[in-house]
Amino acid sequence: MNTVSRLATSADLPTWAIVVAVALAACNLALLLIELRRRERGGAGILFTGVLAIVALVLAVLRPVRVAAKENIVGPRVVVLADTSRSMALADGAAGSGAGTRAAARDRAIAAINVRASDARLVVLGFGDGAPTPFDVGGGHSDRAVRSDLASAIQALAASPDERPRAVIVVSDGRLDNPTADASPAALRALGRTLGVPVHAIATTRDAPADASIRKVAAAGVAVAHVAFPLHIEVGCAGGLPCDELKVTAKELREDGPPSLLASGTVHVKDGKGAVDLMVTLERAGSRILDVSLVSPPGDTIPENDRRLVTFDVARERVRVLHVAGRPTDDVRALREWLKSDASVDVVAFFILRTPTDNPHADQQDLALIPFPVDELFSEDLPTFDAVVLQDFDAQPYGLEKHLPALARYVRGGGGLIMVGGPNSFIGGGYADTPLGNAVGVLPVALDSSPNATASDPVSFEPSWTEQGRAAPLLAPLRAIVGDELPAMPGTNVLGDARPGTVVLWSHPSRTTPNGKPMPVLAVGEAGDGRTIALGLDGAWRLEFSPLGARTAGRGYGALWSGLLGWLMRDPRFEPAQVEVVGGCTAGLPVTLRVHTLPEVAHSPSRSLSVDVAPLEKESAASGKSSPVHREVVADAAGTTELSLPPLAAGGYVARLHVGASGTTRRDFACEAGGDEWADSRPDGARLRELAEASGGAFAWASDGVSGIPLPSPTTVSAERHVAPVAPPWVWTVSAAILLGAHWIARRRGGLA
Amino acid sequence: MLLTGGRGDAARPTAPARWSVELESRTSAPARHRPLKVRADEPALTDEPFVYWSGDSAVQPLTAGEISGLRLFLSLGGVVLVDDAGPSDDGTPGAFGRTARAEIARVLPDTTPIAIGSEHVIFRSFYLLRRAAGRVLGTRTLDAIVRGGKAAVVFSEHDLGGALAKGASGAWEFSVSPGGEIQREQAIRLSVNIAMYVLCSNYKDDQVHAPFLMRRRAFVPEPGSEP
Repeated sequence: MNTVSRLATSADLPTWAIVVAVALAACNLALLLIELRRRERGGAGILFTGVLAIVALVLAVLRPVRVAAKENIVGPRVVVLADTSRSMALADGAAGSGAGTRAAARDRAIAAINVRASDARLVVLGFGDGAPTPFDVGGGHSDRAVRSDLASAIQALAASPDERPRAVIVVSDGRLDNPTADASPAALRALGRTLGVPVHAIATTRDAPADASIRKVAAAGVAVAHVAFPLHIEVGCAGGLPCDELKVTAKELREDGPPSLLASGTVHVKDGKGAVDLMVTLERAGSRILDVSLVSPPGDTIPENDRRLVTFDVARERVRVLHVAGRPTDDVRALREWLKSDASVDVVAFFILRTPTDNPHADQQDLALIPFPVDELFSEDLPTFDAVVLQDFDAQPYGLEKHLPALARYVRGGGGLIMVGGPNSFIGGGYADTPLGNAVGVLPVALDSSPNATASDPVSFEPSWTEQGRAAPLLAPLRAIVGDELPAMPGTNVLGDARPGTVVLWSHPSRTTPNGKPMPVLAVGEAGDGRTIALGLDGAWRLEFSPLGARTAGRGYGALWSGLLGWLMRDPRFEPAQVEVVGGCTAGLPVTLRVHTLPEVAHSPSRSLSVDVAPLEKESAASGKSSPVHREVVADAAGTTELSLPPLAAGGYVARLHVGASGTTRRDFACEAGGDEWADSRPDGARLRELAEASGGAFAWASDGVSGIPLPSPTTVSAERHVAPVAPPWVWTVSAAILLGAHWIARRRGGLA
Repeated sequence: MLLTGGRGDAARPTAPARWSVELESRTSAPARHRPLKVRADEPALTDEPFVYWSGDSAVQPLTAGEISGLRLFLSLGGVVLVDDAGPSDDGTPGAFGRTARAEIARVLPDTTPIAIGSEHVIFRSFYLLRRAAGRVLGTRTLDAIVRGGKAAVVFSEHDLGGALAKGASGAWEFSVSPGGEIQREQAIRLSVNIAMYVLCSNYKDDQVHAPFLMRRRAFVPEPGSEP
């Protein structure tokens, strides 16, 4: 800071008075010069004294003061907005150019600005998703943002209470999400005027890499289970890569096996881009991961964007239920009437009305019986159902046994299965040593496969609520009606121990399993992508017809089945919690899961949560690229908790959340290597140029240097200002009077009046 | 078996057991071999979804408790078969049939019985039937009070129980006229169909059965040649 001193006029004079005084002085001087023509002698003396008098008069009016102050030169505030999106991790330039990444080019450009703008107050912020944040040049982890939203960053600067910058410099590859590639010049001008200062732009990258990629995957409207919908796939080729045709495939990632091919097609590429619509059908509702890939042409330098993993939240128009009953009973009747009464359920029912030993005393043409199409139902039609109900159905006489492996695969692939009790269910139906009931079966309970196994117990009993049953959201509607009471049931199927992960909701009051635990009567569990329920009794209809049913108007039956079917279909009402991936998942970056638990869970004494994250693709798990992750946390009272996961490799994942005694819920999600940011690897300097020109800023390529970017000049700031009069006012007045007198004498001697 | 008005037994007390035997031997459905008797004002009325109400004489007016019990039973989805054991040969209701309808009208005051014929699912719930038949041939149709698309109360003026009743000796208790044993078989089939309707509801109305049943209907003899 320098101390400076200078003269000024008296502070009490308005500007107009100074102007008037100076103007009058000029007039006097002019009159003096005119009068000098009429003098007789002594012209030099008259002029000298006249000028002195005029100056003295002006000084008497202006009364000069001396101003002393300390002054400082303040550099202009310049904000550099550095692109931190994932696309900056791509190579800077064409393949083989030897250049580093775009992020490195960005950092070099910022360093050059820093050197050049030594007088400026440079603030470097990173933009990506939302408001800009402080940016550490060369500090690593600078290219993580999954979006490149420049517009939001500029708007955030405009709304900030901080000092308004004098200029903004954007350093990016130009592949922006906002403003978009098709933004109009008017929109760019409006964005440029947001701050009211020029927005300069420096493009990091000129040349596109040799790359074929899937640029966009979109579905028209909502994906609905069992309904074919067009999957719109846009591909692109850039960097001189020769590709006239590209083959694309769409697969669904499944936990129970390899990805299933949904559709494939060929895209004809013209002018570097092409598109195709593939018709795909997703049979399962909920979050489903689609793997959309193209076959890379030779020379493709970015293989990561040849594959997109897209999460579809598949809606369900109606629940398609296959209801197969081994014989007509009161329990079958009750379930059928409930299923048919629900408009959201589409029931396909097959009841065995006549066994081989029955004699109807009639010709076939007099019977209203049709063949049981077991092969058709359990092979080609099976995927079209959301749930299968096997009620008191013996697998052996009707040819179902040979389809049980397919039924187990159906469950592991995301289907739902409910086995309802009766003499022909579970052990009695021959399911013990099958893919449904064996050691690795899909049913939630073990079944005794020994020859002397007891299939059922005909003694009437009242099921007991377990602690998990009391806490389970799927039985909450039933408990709201019947409380702790349940009707007496006419016997039970004999079930074994619950499998790991099974939630036992009702148990037998006296029977125990081989492990000595109360025998499950109602149990729910997960198998692969699907869910299964074991209801080991055929007396649920007594929730309608019994003293309890009469007291509750029979509403308990509907409440029970609404919960069971809803849970099977992952109805959010019956899930103990909802899981979401905060900000999506990008391979190699930490992931945050946000868990919202139901109020009853949040307010329960035991709020412990644990989550297991595992890859959907078994190959990934086996190769060690993706390891399962386990986390435990206690939910807060508000019911919302966040869990941090380590970086994951690219692929599909399933997050299973275990919520205390309330059961398990799951969320499938995908981690992409580059995501949208890598989908189109071409830089877009032209857009940066348009933005700069629209705001009155300058544009430069980073490789050309930053000298073309004008920087605003600094500002002078004064401090500790002291004002002192040069002389007292009477000195100026007396001096003027004396000099006027001297001038009058000189005029008289010179012959002027 | 439903009992009302102080009566101690049904008009055809052996019919339900025979009905159960026929049902079990001809179909996969289970049946109670010793049917229970229940009074309309007993809480036990709502323990099972089906009651059989038969009589051969006028019904005493139902008490408030009986009306209330039957209303609750029907509101839960129960089904009542009202079987007139004393109709005329042409199917004109007897005293029981007339008074039972009047009492049911007190239980369900805003409903009216309608005739249900071979197009109704009761006539194809197990056997394909062209008409109703019992101890008497009577009318071709049954009557029913339909609630929510389902027949909640079924009226038979054919003495269905009379065709089913067997004495302790194993002999049929009543002769069947005019069709004899063929008509008795038709009555048994109708009773089986009613039971299957109670157990399966409108299962045979499902679309998947339609093409099969339409083809078979084409082979069934014309109504005029049917017993």
